[in-house]
Amino acid sequence: MIRVSWRLQRLQLITLLGLLVAGAGAVVLLRSTMLGDITSSQLTRCVTQALEQCDAPDAAAKAFQTAWTTPLNMGQAAILGLPALIGVFIGAPLFARELEQGTHVLAFTQSVSRTRWMSSKLVVALVPALIVLIALQYLVSWWLSAAGTLGPRMSGPFSALNFGIENVSPVGYALFAFALGTFLGAVTRRTLVAMTAGLGAFIVVRFALSGLVNRLVPIQRLEVAPATNTDVLQNGSLVLDEGWLDAVGQPVSADRVSAVTQACKTTPSGVGTPESQQQFLACLPKSGLAKRYADFIPASQAWQVHLVDVAIFGGLAVLLVAGTAWALRRQN
Amino acid sequence: MTVPGRPDQALPVIAGGLGKKYRRGWALRETSLVIPKNRIVALVGPNGAGKSTLMGLITGLLRPTTGGITVFGDRPTGKGLHPAVSYLAQQKPLYHGFTVTETLTFGARTNPTWDQRYAEYLVEQAAVPMNAKVATLSGGQRTRVALALALGKRPGLLLLDEPLADLDPLARETVLRALITEAKTQGITVVLSSHVLAELEGVCDHLVLLHKGRVLLAGDVGRLGAGGTPLGELALNHMRAAAQEEAA
Repeated sequence: MIRVSWRLQRLQLITLLGLLVAGAGAVVLLRSTMLGDITSSQLTRCVTQALEQCDAPDAAAKAFQTAWTTPLNMGQAAILGLPALIGVFIGAPLFARELEQGTHVLAFTQSVSRTRWMSSKLVVALVPALIVLIALQYLVSWWLSAAGTLGPRMSGPFSALNFGIENVSPVGYALFAFALGTFLGAVTRRTLVAMTAGLGAFIVVRFALSGLVNRLVPIQRLEVAPATNTDVLQNGSLVLDEGWLDAVGQPVSADRVSAVTQACKTTPSGVGTPESQQQFLACLPKSGLAKRYADFIPASQAWQVHLVDVAIFGGLAVLLVAGTAWALRRQN
Repeated sequence: MTVPGRPDQALPVIAGGLGKKYRRGWALRETSLVIPKNRIVALVGPNGAGKSTLMGLITGLLRPTTGGITVFGDRPTGKGLHPAVSYLAQQKPLYHGFTVTETLTFGARTNPTWDQRYAEYLVEQAAVPMNAKVATLSGGQRTRVALALALGKRPGLLLLDEPLADLDPLARETVLRALITEAKTQGITVVLSSHVLAELEGVCDHLVLLHKGRVLLAGDVGRLGAGGTPLGELALNHMRAAAQEEAA
């Protein structure tokens, strides 16, 4: 059965292989060109160090970013979009085409159970697609790390573009998109309907659930005195909530915070002097703003968020595969 | 999968009070039917009489609304077809991108009882080139390949839904003759459906006449034709009587 499924998927497999070769060639070429650019504009140290510390020639970093941000973002977008394409072009037609052309009757009337027919088709369609996705993800990641902090990596692991293409998340999205496509194909029995509805539903669910993961990972809280700066806001952590706490440790509403800070700004020693700053900071706790706080997920914990992400989308995929099995075993 | 000690259970098809309702209405009503072993059964009736529905119920592609059916003692389910049953649907579905060889390989991979030499022999008999793509074959050649696929499984019961519909008269004769030869030598029960009794007369030895979802007539041809009335006329008489009954 596996051999038969291979034969039926031959065209898709060749397309996938072509995609892999073209993608790998493009990434290798772009990466080496980019490395040449970095060396020639003396930016090598800026890849690993912050821009202020790497003493690069003026405007060189700016020129590099102008030239390379778009290609790098496109590489990211390709990995971000690949799961949707897998769902639309490999998942949706998998059963819908057979049901549309009546060839499922051929498969259903051999001595192979429908479940086995379904699983062998699923495996043969999905596994090569996942391998190509992971390979391309690795290649793009390799290219991005060559740009380091000069490239999109600078915005931290939680930025929408960075998070969606890192770790196991793309695999989770691909599993979901693929299962969604096959399910809609088995239920609607129409290739085109499954493709379009699958794409729409995938995009909606993907965005609708993008905030959910953050709530399922242990959050850290940082509490500091009013005068200190919280560097979690800059170091790539995902800040979910920030604000002020009163003396008992309860969050203060935003309205009250702005009213208090406004009131404290009118200090006896005028505005802009060091004394006024001192008085301002002394005024805040008296008026009930004891501490500043930030709820965040540190960048080092990003892998946990990825695991939750893949669990959510993988779980949905399992449900959809069960639904597909039900739809295919249903007798009209 | 015969049940020892209960030989009646192993009959190819036993249906009791079988009915199937689609959204548009009943396609088959209260059908009780036994298809005996080693017969060539003509399943005859006008268009929409319920022939395809009955075949769908035997294969398990459809689920009965009422009543029950057993095929070689087993109830057909959505899991898959009974291993001893082969079915050739009206559209003769084949993967158009496959070559004939690949189609036979498909049969071999999906049927444990597959007889590759027999299937190849059947394709050779039909003079169909083995390396041709199915999409490039003529209607008659495609039917022969589909038939080789169905017979290569070595079934005990072969269901053919309008197998002759898209064939020219000459091809009909050849296909039918090839089929009957195989059925007789292999001891296969064949159920052929058609809306024209004439093309099956003289070939079949058992008749099931369907009309508007009901069995009008069923039995061995020898017994049915004992009164001296030709089979075609007998069937027509029954259908006229049924139509008059409805009108009344």
